Amino acid sequence: MTGFVIRKILRTLFTLFLVVTFVFFVLRLTGDPVSAMMPDDTDPAILDELRKQWGLDRPLGIQYVEYWRNLFQGDFGNAYRDGRPALEIVAERIPATLKLTLTAFAFIVIAGFPLGIVAAVKRGTAIDRGIMTISVTGFSLPNFFLGILLIFLLSVTFRLLPAYGSDHWYNLIMPVITLGTAGAAVIARFVRSSMLEVLNSPYIRACRARGMTEREIIWTVALPNASIPTITILGFMVGTIIGGSIVTETVFAWPGIGRLLIDAVTSRELAVVQTVVMMTAASMVFANLAVDLLYLVIDPRRRYASGTGEQ
Amino acid sequence: MPDFAKETDPGRAMPLAISNLTVSLGVGEGRIAVVEDVSMQVRPGEILGLVGESGSGKSVTCLAALGLLGSGWQTDGEIRLARTRIAGSMSEKALSSVRGLEAAMVFQDASASLNPIQRIGKQLTETVARLRKVGRGEAREIALDLLRRVEMPDPEERFYSYPFQLSGGQNQRVMIAVALAGRPELLFADEPTTALDVTVQSQILELIKSLRDETKMGVVFVSHDLGVVKEVCDSVAVMYAGRIVEAGSVDRVMNSPRHPYTMGLIESMPTLSGHIPDGIEGQVPSPLNRPPGCAFAPRCGRARERCRKELPIGSSDEKQSKDYVACFFPLTGDLTRAVNSEPVVRSKVANAGGEDALLELKGAACDYGTRRGLFRAISGVTLSMQKGGSLAVIGESGSGKSTIGKLMLGIEPTSEGTARFNGRPVPILGTKDHIEFTRSVQLVPQNPYLSLDPRAAIGSQIEEPLEIHGIGTRQERRTRKFELLEAVGLHPSLSDRYPHEVSGGQCQRVVIARALALRPQVLICNEATASLDVSVQARIIELLRDLHGSHNLSIVFITHDLRLARSLCDRVAVMRSGQLVELGETTATFEDPQHPYTRQLLASIPDVEAEHDQSREIAQ
Ligand code: SF4
Repeated sequence: MTGFVIRKILRTLFTLFLVVTFVFFVLRLTGDPVSAMMPDDTDPAILDELRKQWGLDRPLGIQYVEYWRNLFQGDFGNAYRDGRPALEIVAERIPATLKLTLTAFAFIVIAGFPLGIVAAVKRGTAIDRGIMTISVTGFSLPNFFLGILLIFLLSVTFRLLPAYGSDHWYNLIMPVITLGTAGAAVIARFVRSSMLEVLNSPYIRACRARGMTEREIIWTVALPNASIPTITILGFMVGTIIGGSIVTETVFAWPGIGRLLIDAVTSRELAVVQTVVMMTAASMVFANLAVDLLYLVIDPRRRYASGTGEQ
Repeated sequence: MPDFAKETDPGRAMPLAISNLTVSLGVGEGRIAVVEDVSMQVRPGEILGLVGESGSGKSVTCLAALGLLGSGWQTDGEIRLARTRIAGSMSEKALSSVRGLEAAMVFQDASASLNPIQRIGKQLTETVARLRKVGRGEAREIALDLLRRVEMPDPEERFYSYPFQLSGGQNQRVMIAVALAGRPELLFADEPTTALDVTVQSQILELIKSLRDETKMGVVFVSHDLGVVKEVCDSVAVMYAGRIVEAGSVDRVMNSPRHPYTMGLIESMPTLSGHIPDGIEGQVPSPLNRPPGCAFAPRCGRARERCRKELPIGSSDEKQSKDYVACFFPLTGDLTRAVNSEPVVRSKVANAGGEDALLELKGAACDYGTRRGLFRAISGVTLSMQKGGSLAVIGESGSGKSTIGKLMLGIEPTSEGTARFNGRPVPILGTKDHIEFTRSVQLVPQNPYLSLDPRAAIGSQIEEPLEIHGIGTRQERRTRKFELLEAVGLHPSLSDRYPHEVSGGQCQRVVIARALALRPQVLICNEATASLDVSVQARIIELLRDLHGSHNLSIVFITHDLRLARSLCDRVAVMRSGQLVELGETTATFEDPQHPYTRQLLASIPDVEAEHDQSREIAQ
């Protein structure tokens, strides 16, 4: 098992390395920060001077090696405009994004699981069909559209919630719904289908045969078994949420990393973009790692998996 | 109905009394009766065998008795357990207060019938606590005690195991312990030993018998294996197409069966003396289109006009009596069985090997990696097969018999020694040579459904190997496809069907056809008939034997079923714990086994024919 964890971590680190390298080259090959920042009619000599100052005139390979050397010393580079360390700029924005994404994640679990369970238990009834209809709708609405719809309804028409702001708990309501609805819909569907699969398995029939009530069966046997495959989907969801948070933060002017990224890409703040991408990629791969480890905890079959035996 | 309990206690209630039970699927006009007009009784301490092919309604009858059929099913007639009348109108809640206490059930696939992510001790303790209404601590003690009573090795340690850590036999012991938790008056055992190896099978049967003696519970033992039924049951009810066609004491039914179907079942059993089973032609009609008269008429050699028009059912008096047969023209007299006089064509080669061996293992060993390091599945195995030969590799699971198949197929490399085909080393899966090699050596796996693509038509799957190897034009492949279907006895119209639309036996024929597509020299069959019904098994064996004879095909038949091995192969290799313990000509090995383990294996098979021979001798 230790071997498994070590292999996982190594693979994670390798993924990170690839992401950083990819972003490094793509950013530099698709646009020049100096010309993006200065007015179009600036004297080319000044532009060259600036490039020299920021080290952008050197061959890419050298810049790349330099970048890694600095990274290992904990230096993520500085913003061109105000010279502040990129890490600091990104770190300021982390709490807002964490607040949004973690709440959205909780929303997905808290809404998705019960809906899926109810739909499975009431399979074929109006309740099941109702839940599944809501789920299809929730899943097919693009989240920027949902966000705008919410603002239009709750802020503009009924004036229940402010469209912007991030200081109060109620400011979270619309962004979290925007960000979490699709995920909750997917989870509901998935929980439903894995519950149905489990409920049809021989061990559930055997549980009935030994006198367990339906309620006991659903909570103590079916749900734990159905949760196992669902965890994989929750792992994927981390990526979806992070991606979705960029759009959501933009729609609700949420002062998080997503918006920072959009701004930084437009103004070619290379160091900031790279730091954001690296952080995001890191949180995604570590979320994946966490899911894999979680598996080991809840699924005894994986915990004891030991190569291949005969047959 | 039968009444053969060895001893009956008048003070105890009848554990099961079913009268005129009809179970149907759906409601109103379109209702389909799956079980019709079934009556049976089980006395305390009686083991009733419920026998029939799959689709005969035996499992449905048991599930109905516990109210386990679920929505969509309707039951009419009367089912009485020891204290409660089970009615279709009972709520789930009311039913769950009966289940486990008055009647419990064990299923065929024990490993799949336990919660896979909970330790068995916990599952057992919870069941005890709920059914006996005792506290955790006490329940735990009782649970451990139950594990000891079902003769679980190292019960204290196994208590903390998960089902996947235990063998099939151990899991079945756990299931039996769980079933005993509520001290039920009746146990339904639905094919409890079918999935197990022979020696484990006889241990479990012994266990069920001794628990019956101890607790005087009644047992309904569902099985398609008459050998097993003969060994454990006091009485038998034979079901066909939803009805009981014959019932009686086990001795009477087995020694002088009166219904042609019962006779057919007995004749389908492979026996130790090398009798080659004929199987019953045709299939159990589905409940959707049962014939109007006797449901067995289309398959019955004795059928006459009357059989096709009228339904042969006895009067209700007869049905309550100890002996019952639903047939207009029942067989009479003692079992006189057509002796199979036709000699089996066997290869004359006794101890093939050396230069001209087709497939050969020499000092072969195979290691698998596990958590604790390497695990040696087999070691020092030397055996060979000549061109056109047939070799049975026999052993229980874990004996290494499947590993032998894997080495021969190049799925695993040898860790020591060599595996050779036609004098050259067997190429390993994934290498370029291996693809070419698969043209000559093909596998027929245990579960045909798993090896077929559920989304592709049967015909296209038979053509697939030809396409992969780029053989022939489209038209030629098509012709070959129909040739193959014919060779395995399938109607050409099945070509457009999907695997789930055909029966298990047909599916296995498809797999065999696909394996034959490339005209291989060797067919390696790994438990290829283990998941099929007896009568279907017999016919697949027959097919393999035909192919062996007519296509100059060599066959390696890996099995735990000695009887099948005997009826098909001219040489046997007996495996135990990774070692080859005996190798020789089939007849010689079976008649005069040299190794004690081979003797033990032979002794643990329930054999019907031995007794038939005796009764025949007496009759003469
Ligand atoms: S009733 Fe007729 S068809 Fe049916 S089993 Fe008897 S002889 Fe055969």
